[in-house]
Amino acid sequence: MNYEDRIVTAFTACSVFWAVLGMLAGVYVAAELVWPTIDFGLPGLSFGRLRTLHTTLVLFGFGVSGLVATGLYSVQRTSHVRLFAPGLAWFVLYAWQLTIVLGGASILAGWNAGKEYAELEWPFDLAIAVAWVSFGVVFFGTIARRKMEAIYISNWFYGALIIVVAMLHIVNSLALPATFGKSYSLFAGAQDAVVQWWYGHNAVGFLLTGGFLGMLYYFLPKQAEQPIWSYRLSIVAFWAFVYTYIWAGPHHLHYHSIPEWVQSLGMAMSLILLAPSWATMVNGIMTVSAAAKKLRSDPALKFIVLSLAFYGLATFEGPMLAIKSVNVFSHFTEWTIGHVHSGALGWNALITFGTFYFLVPRLAGAPLYSARLANIHFWLALAGVMLYVLSMWGAGVSQGVLWLSLDKLGEVRFSFNDVMAAMKPYYLLRFIGGLLFLAGAVLMAVNLARTFSGRRTVVVAPPPAHAAKGLT
Amino acid sequence: MTLLIFFGDMLVMAFMIAVVVWLSLRATRKQLDAASRIPLEDEDPHG
Repeated sequence: MNYEDRIVTAFTACSVFWAVLGMLAGVYVAAELVWPTIDFGLPGLSFGRLRTLHTTLVLFGFGVSGLVATGLYSVQRTSHVRLFAPGLAWFVLYAWQLTIVLGGASILAGWNAGKEYAELEWPFDLAIAVAWVSFGVVFFGTIARRKMEAIYISNWFYGALIIVVAMLHIVNSLALPATFGKSYSLFAGAQDAVVQWWYGHNAVGFLLTGGFLGMLYYFLPKQAEQPIWSYRLSIVAFWAFVYTYIWAGPHHLHYHSIPEWVQSLGMAMSLILLAPSWATMVNGIMTVSAAAKKLRSDPALKFIVLSLAFYGLATFEGPMLAIKSVNVFSHFTEWTIGHVHSGALGWNALITFGTFYFLVPRLAGAPLYSARLANIHFWLALAGVMLYVLSMWGAGVSQGVLWLSLDKLGEVRFSFNDVMAAMKPYYLLRFIGGLLFLAGAVLMAVNLARTFSGRRTVVVAPPPAHAAKGLT
Repeated sequence: MTLLIFFGDMLVMAFMIAVVVWLSLRATRKQLDAASRIPLEDEDPHG
């Protein structure tokens, strides 16, 4: 009995492909903000469509494919069994990738449900629901057949990702179809906004945080060759994370037409969230500290350690931005974009890159094609994300100051055009940062493809003894 | 209404804390150590 790893390879390849394409779309829209005429008057190249394509490809193409790949890889190993219903897992692969391809084309054609990070129209929503539930059947089916008593902590995070994202997606996508390409949400007005940001923030929480914490808790001990520093802390952090995150969404709607107490509750829960987030960061850093020597030579581990630093930064910045008095200043500014990308590039992308540098040589049964290229990728990624985040902080603070600047009569001193003109240097820096990050991702794609081209047949099976017994 | 929701929230929080404390105290050190080593002992490359 051997582990089913071909499906893991397929999802990993798709993830790398979408990473490059999604980031390319991101760099192009960043360039459009500097040189607005490069849409050439074509609707398919307009900022509104390409930006939506960018978020869809990186979130659902790169991010979700990477999470499914690593989830299916780790759940078999931590359960000491082969994947449950591997045929269904292949169905998930084809259904998910087809949805991304056709969904991406529909966005370029102008279809849009009007909900951020959930822009795909109802036929794609249905396809996503079917594929996602199928993924859940494969994942939980494997857990149910496990030969270990304990369910390892990474599986708790992957499990939370599957359950909560299913719930969020289905509820937020409830709509009345008008035509094949147009539907109207079942919710209206303020209720629609509340449901949308319950979805939106928890997509960030359970997909971009919880899912990737699952990746961290499995692949960090693997790479560091050390057990997690405090397993007890990881359990406490999991439950605190799950309970707290689900409440934090209303901080996206500060000073909007929703009840004041809902906004305050969202703010309070966002501040509490700092505790489980930093508990995980401390747990990760203490785990790495026991393998500090390996850090010098292992490019994969370097990516993971850097991602932990950005995780700490983003999970500190998020609660601060959720404070209502700070939000007065930061809302609708580029600071938010900088915050999102310190998490998305610094945390999600870097931990995925590090994991792929670990995973692909094992899947291929061959050493990494070039550790030097991986190291160059590391520095390109670090330079890119720093340039991106710092430029957006500068832009956001400038926007906040300029928008809140009033003259003696209480009128705004700077017009929208004045503020936009002041953004140009920051947008140029952001474009360069994105370009560096994309260049690194392309290097990784080449490196991993060359690694895989030297593959040999690999057979990895569960260990003979199922010794571990423990808590559930 | 606001007070009702506030006390409801506090009850939920108390429940959350109780569950977390219960879960963290439930396992023995030996069980936790064994579980934490799962990723380090999950492959037989000669299988």
